[in-house]
Amino acid sequence: MIKGSHLILISLILILSCEKDDICIEGSDNTNRITIGFLDDKTKNPTGISLVNLKSIGNDSIIHETFSGQSIKLPLKVNSTKTQFLLDNNDLIDTLTIYHQSIHQYLNRSCGYKSNFIINSQTEITKQTGWIREISVIKDSIFNEEQTNIFIHY
Amino acid sequence: MKNKQIYLFIISICLSTNMLIGQTESNSNDTLIKKDKLLNINKLRFGFDLLKPIVSSSEGDNLNYEIVGDLQLTENIYLAGEYGSIDKLIEDENINFNSSGSFLRVGLDYNLFKNWIGMDNSIYVGFRYGNSSFSNKILNYEVRNKDSYFSNLVEDEFQTIEYSNLSGNWIEILLGIKVETFKNVYLGLSLRLNKLLSDEKPNNFGNLFIPGFNKVTDENTFGSGFNYTLTYSIPLKKRK
Repeated sequence: MIKGSHLILISLILILSCEKDDICIEGSDNTNRITIGFLDDKTKNPTGISLVNLKSIGNDSIIHETFSGQSIKLPLKVNSTKTQFLLDNNDLIDTLTIYHQSIHQYLNRSCGYKSNFIINSQTEITKQTGWIREISVIKDSIFNEEQTNIFIHY
Repeated sequence: MKNKQIYLFIISICLSTNMLIGQTESNSNDTLIKKDKLLNINKLRFGFDLLKPIVSSSEGDNLNYEIVGDLQLTENIYLAGEYGSIDKLIEDENINFNSSGSFLRVGLDYNLFKNWIGMDNSIYVGFRYGNSSFSNKILNYEVRNKDSYFSNLVEDEFQTIEYSNLSGNWIEILLGIKVETFKNVYLGLSLRLNKLLSDEKPNNFGNLFIPGFNKVTDENTFGSGFNYTLTYSIPLKKRK
């Protein structure tokens, strides 16, 4: 009788000690970045651009030391409604201020929350040098990274 | 967490030495007379969990407690139950939150241990039905983001919400021992395997912890728990 219950005790302890760790799988849903395209202001065609020392205001580290291409993906702040970037084109620096809502979506225990964003229409360019002519918001919701969200005309 | 293990260790030692002492003391009373096997309601025990108040105070939470009780129905069958209140900070992988609520479990215990006369120890198996109503308040969380240029930590006041009126119910099977350490005073330990039947989930959050049930995992509906109890037996009939 006692031997039987000892068996139950041992197996119960074994079951209790086998607690599985929850690991968030690599490919699961994730917070997406904003996609910014560059257009030639006259022809309105996608045009490649070169930027240096791309960084955000209030953050010392640099995202890209040099960048060249027709579009760029940048992170937005998940815990704020405003994200600002300094766009440096041949020592001409303009500030891009993106106003956005951060909507946090619960995934599961192991992955926690991801953030979706909705870009507000106040999103603007502060022209220090004016190399950027204007910006246009094409798609205001960021649920994936396939579509260009805003265009910078220069 | 370390404290918890130290307490566990100390209580385990107390429990095992008490069991040995109990054994040697009662050897002198050895007889072959068996107890009656008819319905005998002669024991009502009340007590509390020893660990929950200690752990909660050492971790800086509000007082957590669990009151336990059982009533002997026949020689080996007991009606048993627990009521408790939990208010606990849960530090999970991505989300830190506070879970608070109360729970009630009721069920039966069946004693497997044949006592010598004069002894009253038990090794028992049992089952419970458990129910809990609780609320969770998110304190802060780390948003999953492949880009870590900005901090992804979300602290209070920014989308941290209290989710109240949550509930869960489950069944448990358990295995436990109770050792009479002094006359009418018992130390007990029980290990429990739980299966969640249903739970009321909050919108845009999950039930990662249910008071009385403990941790809820993503993959399955099983959980586990244990308690260390000190109980006092109110003698309803005089023991022979």
